[in-house]
Amino acid sequence: MDFTITEDQATLTQGVRDYLAGVHTPELLRALDASDSRRSDAVWQGLADMGLPGLLVPEAQGGLGLSLLDAVLIAAELGRAGVAEPIADTALVAAPLLAKAGGQEAVLEAIASGEVKVALQHPVNPWVADLDGASHILSAKDGALLLAERSSGAELLDSVDPLRRLYAPVAAKGVTVGSADALLDHAALIAAAQLVGLADAMLEQATDYAKNRSQFGQPIGSFQAVKHHLATAAVKIAFARPVIERAAVALQDGAASAPVHVSHAKLAAADAAWAMSETAIQTHGAMGYTYEVDLHFWMKRAWALSGAWGDRAFHLARIDAAVIGGALPIGPGHSFV
Amino acid sequence: MDLAYTTEQQAFRAEVRAWMEANAPKAPLVTLEREEGYHQHVEWERKLASGNWGMVTWPEAYGGRGLDLIQWLIFEEEYYRAGAPLRVNQNGIFLLGPTVMEYGTDEQKARFLTPMAKGEMIWAQAWSEPGAGSDMAAITSKAIRDGDHYVISGQKTWSSRASFADWGFGLFRTDPDSKRHKGLSFILFDLNAPGVTRRPIRQLHGDPGFAELFFDDVRVPVANRIAGEGEGWTVAMATAGFERGLMLRSPARFQAAAERLVKLFRACEAKAAPAAREQVMQAWMDAQAYAYNTYAVASKIMGGGQIGAEASLNKIFWSELDRAAHRTAMQLLGASAELRHLDGGALNAWLEGYIFSLSGPIYAGSNEIQRNIIAERLLGLPR
Repeated sequence: MDFTITEDQATLTQGVRDYLAGVHTPELLRALDASDSRRSDAVWQGLADMGLPGLLVPEAQGGLGLSLLDAVLIAAELGRAGVAEPIADTALVAAPLLAKAGGQEAVLEAIASGEVKVALQHPVNPWVADLDGASHILSAKDGALLLAERSSGAELLDSVDPLRRLYAPVAAKGVTVGSADALLDHAALIAAAQLVGLADAMLEQATDYAKNRSQFGQPIGSFQAVKHHLATAAVKIAFARPVIERAAVALQDGAASAPVHVSHAKLAAADAAWAMSETAIQTHGAMGYTYEVDLHFWMKRAWALSGAWGDRAFHLARIDAAVIGGALPIGPGHSFV
Repeated sequence: MDLAYTTEQQAFRAEVRAWMEANAPKAPLVTLEREEGYHQHVEWERKLASGNWGMVTWPEAYGGRGLDLIQWLIFEEEYYRAGAPLRVNQNGIFLLGPTVMEYGTDEQKARFLTPMAKGEMIWAQAWSEPGAGSDMAAITSKAIRDGDHYVISGQKTWSSRASFADWGFGLFRTDPDSKRHKGLSFILFDLNAPGVTRRPIRQLHGDPGFAELFFDDVRVPVANRIAGEGEGWTVAMATAGFERGLMLRSPARFQAAAERLVKLFRACEAKAAPAAREQVMQAWMDAQAYAYNTYAVASKIMGGGQIGAEASLNKIFWSELDRAAHRTAMQLLGASAELRHLDGGALNAWLEGYIFSLSGPIYAGSNEIQRNIIAERLLGLPR
């Protein structure tokens, strides 16, 4: 029993964080927001050069063969930087599913090299992100997961998140590569991890703002009311993190209880991100209510990911069945078994 | 990260479980906030010690088992699983014990730790004074040096366990001209010494669990001072860290409460308010999150890391989840919640638990103080 991450994991995570902090700046987000496609080949190529698409691709197909625990650590960094490119869906959700399915070596090699982007669709998640730029699509249909090359065009929807590219779903087809439930759980877990990263970034932005913005002759961060708002949000974020890690390990191990842990992770992360977004805008005051402050990019992504891949009602229903319904043994001694 | 127990850890769990099943009281004891219950709990403490379970993480030389923090968590899980009584000696084993271990002399360790682990010396804490609650640096009680003794005068209040316990620990001003954090010393005293008067204070539930202490020129040997004269604040902050940190509130306690809450909900589901269902799930989720986090902190400490201001995150989280879980139970019980005894039998554990949970956000440094610590030390906001 050991809950610590390895030195390699810490190094990798810090490396990704440093890289994104250097290149994936708020100025970049604004430039993407001003563009038509809201996507950038240069940004994608940068992520590919960093090796991110291949993190969970097996070594035999040119990847690093990392685990879902690594995936959630990286997903949190993608959230922290507000990355909108379909890297989480492709690298952290599609890749491990395809690796597990077997027989998809060519697609995995293309994912690792950054040539292939995969869009994900599932009935629980009514919109499909980044369908236009994807070469492949993973679709849930009748409980199965199907892989196909993307063919037809699609109808673009308008998201509050200026960098989120949403489409109406298309007909599901292709070869079976796993179960629909596996897609849902993997994607919900990665969304949860991104939510914690988003919340972390908002906490940092709000804290910086509170240190620098003066009213009544002193920084607003010296006022106890402001301090307590931020501290309360920090508690929520801190206690969402281990739930996500626990869920990642359960899903990686194929534990029967994994779906419950994923739902717990998604709920805890969404609660933390939601609370943090409200706290952050309150801390920023009227400045936070403008498009001019960076905060809104993170806040809107948090709203979007909170509802995606199973909303609150969906995940509560799974907790309900397991905990109140009695499917899961609970109480002392049942944290990990 | 490896979230599976080793074979040795599983064997340890089985050993604890077997002992608890054979030895833990089958019926609830009288509350330890009353004299009769206090003595019942002391008896249980001694029984635990007879099985060498008094303080499993302490070195064997002091009556412990020298176990690591993961084993401690397993022990606690089995303890609460068995429904064993609350620890009457928690001030000693979880607060003073680690303090003496870190700052005490060999002589002090030998003198105090072993009797603590054996349940032969039950401790009260004496931090607060009428004018020094959360603002502990405002302490005015004095300990004036007279040869190899201190002469203590002044008053402490809200001293938990002090109505019945054997010994107390607290901060006293050894330099009468000193201000705030300076000039304080950490001193242990015999509650039965001449000049100590205890006045039990009835707590919210009506039981006299804690007390006011009056010191009227109480002579205490200098050998009872932990660390140097005037270093009391540093030592007390370490003790407070232990209190807020890992060991005071093991997750098993809240997991057991969440499990009982789920059972209560199932029993009265038909008349439950719509929101109650979600609150019950939240109680389970929060207890689980606290458990994962505690295992994570334990792993970190075992890997050579330390827990600093993060302890304040823990303290806020467990105290607020405890209050919410018990409030949910009270609301589920509805008109029965006010009854001191449910079904004419055992004490209403939900009522007692709810009342106790109200103290969580206050003691060990109020949650407002904890939020200041988080804001200033973790987030770096200006004072």
